[in-house]
Amino acid sequence: MIGYGLKTLFDKEVRRFLRVPGQTLLSPLITTTLYFLVFGYSLGSRLRDVEGVPYARFIVPGLVTLGIISNAFLNTASSMFVMKLQGTIVDLLVSPLAYGEILAGFVGAAVVRGLLVGTVMWAVAGLFTGFELAHPLFALAMVLLVATSFGALGFMTAIWASSFEQVNFFPTFVITPLTFLGGVFYSARMLPPALRHFTLANPIFHIVDGVRHGMLGLSDGHPALGLSLAAALCAASLAGCYAMLRTGYRLRG
Amino acid sequence: MPPPVVSIRSVKKRFGSFEALRGVDLQIERGEIFALLGPNGAGKTTLISIVAGLLRASEGEVRVLGRDVVTDYRFTRCAVGLVPQEINFDPFFTVEEALRIQAGYFGIRLREERLVEILRALDLAAKRTSNTRSLSGGMKRRLLIGKALVHEPQVLFLDEPTAGVDVELRQALWRYVRVLRDRGTTIVLTTHYLEEAEELADRVGVIDLGRLLVVDDKDALMHRYAGKTLRVTLAAPLAAVPSPLEALGARLEDGGRSVVITAEPGASFGPALSAFAQVGLAVKDVETARMRLEDVFVRLLRGERGPEEHATALREPARAPGEVSRP
Repeated sequence: MIGYGLKTLFDKEVRRFLRVPGQTLLSPLITTTLYFLVFGYSLGSRLRDVEGVPYARFIVPGLVTLGIISNAFLNTASSMFVMKLQGTIVDLLVSPLAYGEILAGFVGAAVVRGLLVGTVMWAVAGLFTGFELAHPLFALAMVLLVATSFGALGFMTAIWASSFEQVNFFPTFVITPLTFLGGVFYSARMLPPALRHFTLANPIFHIVDGVRHGMLGLSDGHPALGLSLAAALCAASLAGCYAMLRTGYRLRG
Repeated sequence: MPPPVVSIRSVKKRFGSFEALRGVDLQIERGEIFALLGPNGAGKTTLISIVAGLLRASEGEVRVLGRDVVTDYRFTRCAVGLVPQEINFDPFFTVEEALRIQAGYFGIRLREERLVEILRALDLAAKRTSNTRSLSGGMKRRLLIGKALVHEPQVLFLDEPTAGVDVELRQALWRYVRVLRDRGTTIVLTTHYLEEAEELADRVGVIDLGRLLVVDDKDALMHRYAGKTLRVTLAAPLAAVPSPLEALGARLEDGGRSVVITAEPGASFGPALSAFAQVGLAVKDVETARMRLEDVFVRLLRGERGPEEHATALREPARAPGEVSRP
């Protein structure tokens, strides 16, 4: 019984985003491809190699991470918030699904969407820059942790939020600035010392750096730090979601 | 002896400083149709939401089939079906998908025969592959009932099931509720339509300001509280009530053309008729009527009691007798 309930929720969440592929898959793909073409090719042709790789290739891991982060986050955030708004959350709350099952169903689907978008982006970029992966298992671990973390953060945000504006607060004012200032488009070594310290204090930088290590085999810092930060963020965000479900925070009055 | 289907003990629920339930005790017995009546904000939805798992009680204990709804929620939620008051639907899915998903949440792979049975019973068979967004309001409400039934619950909570529903559909839903009860499902419904409770319920509970004012068998409640009215239409209007009738509490209506006397349950109109004969009024017509559940409901909310001290009243009325704030 337990397995089928979880499977139902997971399937439903995956079907939900697959029913609007233009919005959930194509749109982020086009946005990120434009980033790649504009920054990687138009501007990249004027830049020298970064850390020994062409600039267009250097930015691929960051763009893939950016796509995974935003799509995993949006999947849980929009699904959960719309369920609250439309009242269909009642269907879930009266069911015997355990907290862990609800969490796994939502976050699992967010991971699928995040990895789907990330993989397609990587494949499109690979047509221009090549498909080699320096440390595939490390890269896989990083993207899984990133997708899970931000899927869980989206879930928490949707439970907390009472308006669309609040749902958008976290991606607009936290994720996007930290990601753009997190080394997606540049190496920390390219920055003056003051900005470099600022960048090194940004946890997203180390996560992007970890993904870059996995995909290209080069990094600004210690890849283990990126992996550790991603694992810590994953554990903390899942624990936060679980606590919200267990206490019924903003869900069960 | 099997435990009651639902047992609610000393349940309180606070939302911040607002106390929505102030210590409710109630037992729902197997196979009955129980109607929970009360004005807006009385605590009806809060109470059934706690039983169904949508809300958590601030204090007290709720058991379904003898199991605690918090510590043993997996068991109790499988035994409970809830039709919420507010219509909801997921526009991503069809009617069939919505039913299959809801069954899946309960760990049930919905069999084709069961799916068809639910669709036919709720007159949704023709809409099986339609998107839920395209359904009319009445169809969406029937779909909610279908979703609450997919796991074959032993007790079904219907929160204002016919609000905004046309007469024909309301009667169809009433018939289906009786079918479910005949199959052994316990039904608890909250309603504003007192006609609905009068038509369907075996027992009635009246709740107001978070307290249960009375719980009783519907017929016993009617017997205890439902007085009678005598309306005598006169051949010529009166300017004032003659004193023998005034002593019986008579009042004039219709511009003095009718004399109306209300009697407590069990009381006789014999003295009233004798008083009419004594005064010698020319009578055109005589009507008697028994109060309906609606009148009983209003009396209870006003804090009026019947002539007998009812043993089953669980709480004193929350407000002073005679004070009417929300009829």
